[in-house]
Amino acid sequence: MNRSPRALAAMVVAPVAFGIAFVALWEAAVKVLDLQPYFLPPPSAIWREFQANAALIWEATKVSGSNALVGLVIGTVLGVALAFVLSRFRVLNELVTPLAVALNAVPIFVLVALFNNMFSVTSEVPRRLMVTLVVNFIVLVNVAKGLTQVDRTHVELMRSYAASEVAVLRKVRVPNAVPYLFIALKIAAPAAVITAFVSEYFGGSQNGLGSRIVGNIAISKNATAWGYVLGACLLGLAFYLAAVLAERAATPGRPQSAE
Amino acid sequence: MTNAVDVRGVSKAFNRGRPDEVRALVDVDLAIEPGEFVSMIGPSGCGKSTALRLMANLLEPTSGDVHVNGKPARKARLDQDYGMAFQQAGLFDWRNVTKNVELPLELKGWDRSRRRERALEMLHLVKLDEFAEHMPWQLSGGMQQRVAIARALAAHPPLLLMDEPFGALDEMTREHMQAELLRICGETSTTVVFVTHSIPEAVYLSTRVVVMSPRPGRITDVIDVDLGPRRDVDTREDPAFFKKITEVREALRGMERASSSEAAGPPQPAGMEDR
Ligand SMILES: Nc1ncnc2c1ncn2[C@@H]1O[C@H](COP(=O)(O)OP(=O)(O)O)[C@@H](O)[C@H]1O
Ligand SMILES: [Mg+2]
Repeated sequence: MNRSPRALAAMVVAPVAFGIAFVALWEAAVKVLDLQPYFLPPPSAIWREFQANAALIWEATKVSGSNALVGLVIGTVLGVALAFVLSRFRVLNELVTPLAVALNAVPIFVLVALFNNMFSVTSEVPRRLMVTLVVNFIVLVNVAKGLTQVDRTHVELMRSYAASEVAVLRKVRVPNAVPYLFIALKIAAPAAVITAFVSEYFGGSQNGLGSRIVGNIAISKNATAWGYVLGACLLGLAFYLAAVLAERAATPGRPQSAE
Repeated sequence: MTNAVDVRGVSKAFNRGRPDEVRALVDVDLAIEPGEFVSMIGPSGCGKSTALRLMANLLEPTSGDVHVNGKPARKARLDQDYGMAFQQAGLFDWRNVTKNVELPLELKGWDRSRRRERALEMLHLVKLDEFAEHMPWQLSGGMQQRVAIARALAAHPPLLLMDEPFGALDEMTREHMQAELLRICGETSTTVVFVTHSIPEAVYLSTRVVVMSPRPGRITDVIDVDLGPRRDVDTREDPAFFKKITEVREALRGMERASSSEAAGPPQPAGMEDR
């Protein structure tokens, strides 16, 4: 009852139509303006490169994707756990939350350069660590909010039922935090992918999407680099859609949080 | 007979000893017998909600005693001797209607089938049988408030504490809910303490109207309302009803109460009194 099939169709059709128009315009612009391939290759060339290198792109996607996934899972678990601890102690919460928000606003993934120094050159750990950190902050801030910002009427009702702190946690705070967790995941899932491949720019083994993009640009294979960019876009999209589907599965029928 | 509520010499100050100290209630005495329907009325900030929260033991008095059901208020709360409803229905979005009504029973440790049976019984009482499996956001404001009443009465408490429960409803729904509330509390013989700032609402519902004044919050008048059994429209159009409304209004304005002279004045339409 929250979304009619028609509204859903409109939601899908509009962006798809826009995408097609955009690609067509791009293709036409390259032809008409006679842009050089090293400046901007046409979508048709990118698509050819994408198909020709599909196996390689898939390998690189698996590397970046698994780094993103591992970091996303660990970061989420850690973020939820920390949110419970923080929400238990108000002072701690008031201290850490602004810090976490502030850290979220700076591009902390440059820290990966330092992590790279701590581990062997071929290790994937620094990148996964970086993703974990980024995801952890996003999840922590949102879930802590959900656990603490509880309707005042609910709190008074629970007190009138002589409910214990544990009962309030289980029956009010945790369910109240569930939508916040999914808001966090919808932000964190694409952020995990971005962090995973941006982390690859800072050294380490050259097997992921990020390093391949840089590597191909370095040898002037622009269209191939764009092929990898396409792979990266699809990976980010897949992560976001997975988060949206998880939300729908976990809270069926409930009005969805703002996207 | 033990009183349903006994408030003796109660004062409540917030932020004591600080520059922003508020004397929310001063020297309040109020005894409510079982079966009474008592409304508390007064301008905003006169301490109505504070008084209700003291009875519910959601607040502790600064001085004085509050007894509910013959027990100290804290003991009465721990025994779930009262149900409570607020202006916001306060339903839990993640629970369907039945599960909302079941919540107080869950916390009392009732088993699943007994809980469900009682919840359905309560939903029948508030005429929401068909909505048992609906989610809260699928209901209108009036229906949500009915679920909140069913939930407050689920454990069959002898006392119902209500803080402007119909304050957010439109006038038509509101009058309907008032009649329903009287029916429900009659059927369950529940004592009610009802906070409102609507004069006709207080007069229509109550056996007694407690009039309060602010700064500091005090009880300035207690008015008995003896209109007999209420019959929705008939009662609302009864001259005796308007007379009581005038009496309460004058008490609220701190005017000399209309003496025994029968001059009732021109009848006022009920809706006019509302805010
Ligand atoms: N928790 C609180 N802290 C400080 N002041 C409060 C608190 N609760 C109520 N008050 C003050 O006490 C007075 C009475 O409030 P309240 O009982 O809510 O009035 P009413 O319900 O009659 O509008 C008001 O002046 C209000 O500002
Ligand atoms: Mg109030």
